[in-house]
Amino acid sequence: MDFTFAPEHVALRRMIREFAKNEVAPIAAEIDREGRVPFETLKKLAQIGLLGVCFPQKYGGMGAGETGYCILMEELGRICTSTATNVGAHIGIGAMSIYLDGTEEQKQKYLMPLARGAKIGAFVLTEADAGSDAAAIRTRAVRDGNEWIINGTKTFNTNGSFAEIVTVMTVTDPTLGAHGGMTAFIVEAGTPGFKVGTHENKMGIRGSSTAELVFEDVRVPHENVLGKVGEGFISFMKTLDMGRLTLGAACLGGAEAALEASIHWAKTRKQFGAPLAHKQSVQWMIADMATEIEALRSLVYRVAWMVDTGQSFTQLAAMCKMYGSEVASRAIDTALQIHGGLGYSRDYPVERNFRDARIAEIFEGTNEIQRIVIASNIFRQHGVRIRP
Amino acid sequence: MQIVVILGQVLDPSGIVVKGKAGRIFVNREEYVLQPADKCALEAALRIKDTTNAKVMALPRGPLPNDDVLRQALAMGADRAVYLTTRRVANPPYGDAVMADVLAAAVEKLGGADLLLTGATTLDTGQGQLGPRLAEALGWPQIVGAWQVASRRVSESAGGRVEAVLQRAGNYVTVEADLPAVVTVLPGALKPRYPDGVRLINVYRAEDAVERWDVSDLVDEASLQPLLEKRGQDFPPERELGVRLSGTPEEMAQALADALRERVSR
Amino acid sequence: MDFTLSEEQEMFRAMFRDFSTKEVAPGAEELDHEEKPPLGALRKAAQQGFLGATLPEDYFGAELDYVSYALLVETLAGDCMSTAVTLATHVSLVAMSILVHGSDAQKEQYLPLLAAGEAIGAFALTEPDAGSDATALQTRAAPDGDGYVLDGVKTWVANGSIAGLYLVFASAPDGITSFIVEKDTPGLTVGYREPTLGLRGVAINTLYLENCRVSAANRLGEEGQGWDIAQRALDRMAIALAAAGLGVSEAAVDTAAQFASERVQFGVPIAKKQAIQNYLADSLIEVEALRYLVYHAAWLADQGGDLTYDAAVVKTFGAQVARSVTNRMVQVMGGYGYMEDYPMARKYRDARALSLLCGPSEFQRFIVARHLLAQKDIEITP
Repeated sequence: MDFTFAPEHVALRRMIREFAKNEVAPIAAEIDREGRVPFETLKKLAQIGLLGVCFPQKYGGMGAGETGYCILMEELGRICTSTATNVGAHIGIGAMSIYLDGTEEQKQKYLMPLARGAKIGAFVLTEADAGSDAAAIRTRAVRDGNEWIINGTKTFNTNGSFAEIVTVMTVTDPTLGAHGGMTAFIVEAGTPGFKVGTHENKMGIRGSSTAELVFEDVRVPHENVLGKVGEGFISFMKTLDMGRLTLGAACLGGAEAALEASIHWAKTRKQFGAPLAHKQSVQWMIADMATEIEALRSLVYRVAWMVDTGQSFTQLAAMCKMYGSEVASRAIDTALQIHGGLGYSRDYPVERNFRDARIAEIFEGTNEIQRIVIASNIFRQHGVRIRP
Repeated sequence: MQIVVILGQVLDPSGIVVKGKAGRIFVNREEYVLQPADKCALEAALRIKDTTNAKVMALPRGPLPNDDVLRQALAMGADRAVYLTTRRVANPPYGDAVMADVLAAAVEKLGGADLLLTGATTLDTGQGQLGPRLAEALGWPQIVGAWQVASRRVSESAGGRVEAVLQRAGNYVTVEADLPAVVTVLPGALKPRYPDGVRLINVYRAEDAVERWDVSDLVDEASLQPLLEKRGQDFPPERELGVRLSGTPEEMAQALADALRERVSR
Repeated sequence: MDFTLSEEQEMFRAMFRDFSTKEVAPGAEELDHEEKPPLGALRKAAQQGFLGATLPEDYFGAELDYVSYALLVETLAGDCMSTAVTLATHVSLVAMSILVHGSDAQKEQYLPLLAAGEAIGAFALTEPDAGSDATALQTRAAPDGDGYVLDGVKTWVANGSIAGLYLVFASAPDGITSFIVEKDTPGLTVGYREPTLGLRGVAINTLYLENCRVSAANRLGEEGQGWDIAQRALDRMAIALAAAGLGVSEAAVDTAAQFASERVQFGVPIAKKQAIQNYLADSLIEVEALRYLVYHAAWLADQGGDLTYDAAVVKTFGAQVARSVTNRMVQVMGGYGYMEDYPMARKYRDARALSLLCGPSEFQRFIVARHLLAQKDIEITP
């Protein structure tokens, strides 16, 4: 077993860390305060090829694999969860859906500009009545000659309000439900009838866009069917699996940032005549935090290796997301406690990280869904079928 | 046009702590980075390459522990990079004086160059000798401590010229030299680009991305003698604590004047 | 042991619920979004006598017993923790301190104003270098003729920008001493509001004291008595904060349970899913345990005597429960628990303050351990 990173991944991490320090960190507080998406950062990431980090070079990507993508998400997650969210929605589920299920023509036409970062992607699934129960979506696509007409409203979508290329999940046969009744389509922004609705006012990740998307008689050509008609459910399950792993990596970054901030504060802040680092309460907190982070790191990169070597990983990806989000929440909560009153103040980044971290247990499939996925997989291996 | 850039590495200062009282440098985290001034020199070279059909080649400041800075140069856009190995492990002589001759030979082996760029100073030792010594060894004009660098073709027949901007006492001075020339670049002058992602992955995956030459292929290694011998190291004396004055402005002014008089007469 | 509320306490609780629903709940979201203090609610509360909740009728207070007062804070916190904390600061930290430690002249001068809400009280103890370690105070009270000159900076002063009087703690020659400083006293400046994660409707300001002269008549208690006054004030406040934690937890469970019974996924309300049931049950179990701990502590306050140990226990547990319950209830509400257009996100942010305000949980644990180990003849320091 070789636990070292390959030289290209070491060099990649170093570059991203410097980028994050120089380009992302200086505006992290500002984008949260102003509630704006850092388009300038996305452009800079695109320029050096990072918006296609995991895709093969022949599709305009960097060819660094899932491991490279996890490194990107970890290093961004360490500095700014909002930025990691924007990037993750673009690479991990937006472009990824086309990479996993697209035809060669679709990859040339859509994946290449996404991988190059010339265009931004999004993955559009959730609806008001279809959150965890994603199979309950009602957005309808009806065939009309060589086109399909899409009607429906999608909610809580990340990047959709400014993405140029979106993958939309629809119902093509209401009688069949998840098995045979759903189809994914690639839709370009600017298609008549595709509109942006309300923007959500979120507690955290305010530097990312969460919006309602409305489809009113949106016509897309049949060539834009992603994967096969009726196989949308399988498609999106595959895509979400990939997304889960890398969200775990972003949470790893967030937890590491919490640990660094805690150590720094414990060294610096004196009460009762000594730095906090000399108090056992604080030492226990730091030790527990650091241990969970090591466990998470091993889990995330092992699963990344499994993806890069073609092994099956659904259950493990769900574990990365579930465990990662909970480790990050615990770490940042502890960091806030160590900072005392100042941790509660918006003048310090801990407060923003606290608000940002909370979403990870909820989006990309709530941790309840992750637990169902994990338990289902385990029991299925033992012959028991579980339904959510 | 051929541009050669000389690159070195230095311990990442954020990983070390200098404790004068203990008389030691504590290395908390041993990581090496490209010398900041050399990185600016590389950036200057790449900017010239952006607008001309120049080729950029990277050489090391000496036999380095590994070829990482040369790979970084390739990832940032250099066309060729050479790593220098040496069999002379005991009493290695590779200070700037000796390396100037070695590197001059390397430039010749590369097929010559029109412009040679390197950092004007090193972060750890504060040395600025390499550029000037190389210029002497090559017999080329030198511009030292440039803030900006551009190459300008004056006319096809006269060869090219390099134009550099220097800071002098709050002003900017433009200096020109005929090519071939050596220019050393100050750190912080130019914002270095990030490596191109695809190049980075490919360069670090290809084991043979960086060429390897041995010093003995360039000069008579056995005859090299070091110029300097390090005999010891000391830390500057600790700064005295200041004295806080209090009282009315008149009282403080009097106390200050008395203290200064007393110091002068010491 | 009789665990029932008296008829009068039940009646008060109904009255508080009615008041809170009408006067506090509607404005809660706006206070949080605009970061402004609950002046309207305070005025209405004053009319009901709530601002003199535990003060004697002689001083125009409502003369509520401590359990009834805890019910008041609990009820208000369910709708708006900012309002609850504002009121509790005014009553428990400031008004009660003057009642317990003030001279007759001070009580006659200030208590009626506080009870009527004509002046709001603010508590100025914390400093940039004196957080948990409040004995490291650097604000000085230098004797000056028949008074004192105060110099220093106070941070995290609750009710700072809306106060008519400030209870300020400073280091005098004979030890930490407390002073009642009126609003427009020269040398007293109120700084900007501390931008906070939650409790955004509480005025939390920095206070600057520069050459601020107060007369000896403004000194509360004796020189050197300040630390004792502060500790007793914080003990009372601890019970109030735990009551607030109880209130916000109950409200969170109720809101989430309502949501879970309406939100349909996988064909059924999510309340039918065992995992959701477990979250609700675990939360309710914690709430029940906290409830009786709070009422017991309030009852102890009515008995008189040293509250420090019990206050530490109830505050720590209250903070813990509030944090864990609001966190679970955000999860029950899923994405809607994260959107500021729904009340849960605010409750989550507000509840988080309880383990930090007025003595963090780490310090409370020390008090509890000290109490126990003293019985074993072991002395400990923080």
